[in-house]
Amino acid sequence: MSTAALVILGFILFCLGLFGVMARRNFIVILLSIELMFAAAGINFIAFSGLWRNLTGQVFTIFLIAVAAGEAAIGLGLLIALYRLKHTANVDEAHELRG
Amino acid sequence: MTVLWIVLAGFIVACALGVVLSRSPISSALSLLVGFIGVAILYLALKAEFVAAVQVLVYAGGILVLYIFGIMLTDNEALRLTRQVQFQAWPVFILVLVLFLWMGHKLYRAEYVAQPQARIMMVATDAQADAAKAALAAQAAARSGSNTQQIASVLYGDFLYPFEAASVLLLVAALGAVFLAKKEV
Repeated sequence: MSTAALVILGFILFCLGLFGVMARRNFIVILLSIELMFAAAGINFIAFSGLWRNLTGQVFTIFLIAVAAGEAAIGLGLLIALYRLKHTANVDEAHELRG
Repeated sequence: MTVLWIVLAGFIVACALGVVLSRSPISSALSLLVGFIGVAILYLALKAEFVAAVQVLVYAGGILVLYIFGIMLTDNEALRLTRQVQFQAWPVFILVLVLFLWMGHKLYRAEYVAQPQARIMMVATDAQADAAKAALAAQAAARSGSNTQQIASVLYGDFLYPFEAASVLLLVAALGAVFLAKKEV
């Protein structure tokens, strides 16, 4: 697959993740959409790592997976806190700071 | 061969659509799991074997299990019965579509040129040129061996300090998650 096709695939995944983050209201699905955007970034790193014959991209994908793991842990902590406060995972319920 | 690439890309995009559009969070999570396995196959085909293995082990085996735990701890009927895609979905869809068409046009027209290593380095003096040549020779030596060996030499060589910083990040994230999720002190 050419680099252009891989970049387009990553961009499609990124757009789907962006849509999920902005349009869904379940907190877990928002976190899953963020994971989609992480996957898009990973595909780009691997694509350019192959194009430039340089392993830095693959090493950065490993760092990206570590960051995603940290994000998942923090996200689930937030989810449990939200659920304890509101008894729902619906982000529209958390509107105390609405101006 | 091209057909296989298209099938794989279509499979990944279909799984991503399933994540964004499915009604219940558990089918979103399982769709993401299958999609990540597709991404791992893509990495494998792009000769990134170690990253593909890490993708399956950490993402599919670890992170997704964490999300499914989260769904089991919080899922409630009222949320499942409400419409998941709400009134702002159409404006958001149009916004993302405009971004997709505009950036996609630019990305499709862009040219991706394979750059040789030496052209990336800025060389001013002879000493720097010698250092650059030595670095290139070291990279060529490191390039022999399997993909995992090469990644190890880069990860524990050039990226040792970022690697340690990542371990601190994971520790802080674990502590923060415990702090956020614990009951009132």
